[in-house]
Amino acid sequence: MKKENKIKSIIQAILTDLLFWIYIFGCISFLINHWFEKTIPSNFVVIFGIAVGLITFILGLSVGRKVFFPTIRTDKKWHKSFWGWSVFFILLITFVVGWNLVEVDLYKLFTKFRNAGGILSGIFDPNLNILTLCLTALAETIYLALLATVFAIPLAFSLSFFAARNLMPRTFIGNTVYIIVRTIATIFRSIEAIVWAIIFSVWVGIGPFAGMLALMIHSVASLTKLYSEQIENIDPGPVEAIKATGASTLQTWLFAVVPQIISPYLAFTIYRWDINVRMATIVGFVGGGGIGLLLLQQQQLLRWQNVGVIIWLIAIVVWTMDMVSAKVREKLQEM
Amino acid sequence: MKSIIELKNLHKVYATGTHALKGIDLEVKEGEFCILLGLSGSGKSTLLRCLNRLIEPTSGEIHIDGEDVIAAKGQKLRFIRRKIAMIFQQFNLIKNLSSLTNVLTGKLGYSTLIHSLTFPQHKNDVKIALENLRRVGLKEFANKKTRNLSGGQQQRVAIARALMQDPKIILADEPVASLDPATADSVMRYLGELNKKDNMTVICSLHFLSLARKYGTRVVALKDGKIVFDGTPEEIDEKKFKEIYGEDAEEVEIR
Repeated sequence: MKKENKIKSIIQAILTDLLFWIYIFGCISFLINHWFEKTIPSNFVVIFGIAVGLITFILGLSVGRKVFFPTIRTDKKWHKSFWGWSVFFILLITFVVGWNLVEVDLYKLFTKFRNAGGILSGIFDPNLNILTLCLTALAETIYLALLATVFAIPLAFSLSFFAARNLMPRTFIGNTVYIIVRTIATIFRSIEAIVWAIIFSVWVGIGPFAGMLALMIHSVASLTKLYSEQIENIDPGPVEAIKATGASTLQTWLFAVVPQIISPYLAFTIYRWDINVRMATIVGFVGGGGIGLLLLQQQQLLRWQNVGVIIWLIAIVVWTMDMVSAKVREKLQEM
Repeated sequence: MKSIIELKNLHKVYATGTHALKGIDLEVKEGEFCILLGLSGSGKSTLLRCLNRLIEPTSGEIHIDGEDVIAAKGQKLRFIRRKIAMIFQQFNLIKNLSSLTNVLTGKLGYSTLIHSLTFPQHKNDVKIALENLRRVGLKEFANKKTRNLSGGQQQRVAIARALMQDPKIILADEPVASLDPATADSVMRYLGELNKKDNMTVICSLHFLSLARKYGTRVVALKDGKIVFDGTPEEIDEKKFKEIYGEDAEEVEIR
């Protein structure tokens, strides 16, 4: 092992051990607080964590050593070694802390079934009188998902070429464009559609238009990523051949790249529409209009029979979309 | 006869540090059928791709048909490229398009964007494309997707695409390496015909000495990015062959 690499591994191993033990003591202090209502000062946790971490590292027993110095031979089975038990312990304590944080209560789960009676009876006795109203809202949802997808296609299609490593020349401009497009797409994708819906419902007012904008932004970002990955996977041979004929860059993209990606693009787009229909319901909850908004209103009014109708409709649409998009994608694969 | 390609002290160093071409000086006369020999990795593909700047040379000079290739940019480079057709080992056709469309792409260097998007409407282009397909014996395959053609047929479509460029030079990068011996010979026969009848200059990298002797008028051998032999095919004897391919090499007789 090279000297710098060795130092790097040692630092990584020590940091791992410190975090490992600080986390364990943090969990212990949380449990003591939770069960015995005694507060342990946080600097105690840190000091104990650092101390135990360092000691185990120096003694050569630690997890960090095991992970970053895999060349050190340990013939022992995990249950006969210190690192094995510490990993077991950290998993166990994480589970216990999780159980308490989430307030898991099996007693409630099995005894308070009656509380949900209203909604369940609503599902099996839906109020069909409001069907027309629901269908209107449902149409809103489906069309807002469709428009979001349709508007996203040309934007994502154009952007994907600039986000494909193999098409962007490795010059200053090429790299800059590639990095900017990639970064923006990643940031926009990491913001959930539901957050966009909140932003747009303030911007353009509550309603399907806000929902459409939210889904569109999110779709552009994800499709750009999916599309550009598809471009990065194309056969570079035809690109070379078309370039050699004296074609311009745009002609090269149109004749050598587009024919290779058209069918995966269609498959991704249909899949995206499918996702958008499902998301449109959720987005409706936070001001995106459509069936989601109606569901929220009826639920708050405790009209369980109306809620029942809506749930059935959503289930039917999602199921149909799922089937259709799977079938279409299957056919596209064969092309 | 005037020389159509002139290379002076051509170097290529890849970003990985590989020194693929180490000062190539070469002059190719109009109408020559020049065979490039050499082991894989000796620099044959790099040399061919430097000629039309699919790969950027690191230093040196390239003149083709009197034009400075290295200085050329944008439009100028496109006009140089369209005079130089290229044929590849893997054919490099667009597999889910028809043979006819693939052949028409040979016209891209002569077309504006709008023109190229409406190729099927330009009767004259289609006529020439069909004529070129007929020339390689594939007229009845015009509307077939190229993915459904055999290797030899695909390479012939690639030759028809090259013809569409109306080129002065054909660069062929191991055009028969993925084909069986009989098909290989028929593909070489088309290249030979273009060389003799249409007076196109051909530079073709190969591995089979038998084909080199049959079709080549000149052989240039590369080893570690340098020219180690330049002469006629007949001059390559056992000793020269071992110089090019290393001591352990045995000539494999195909046919």
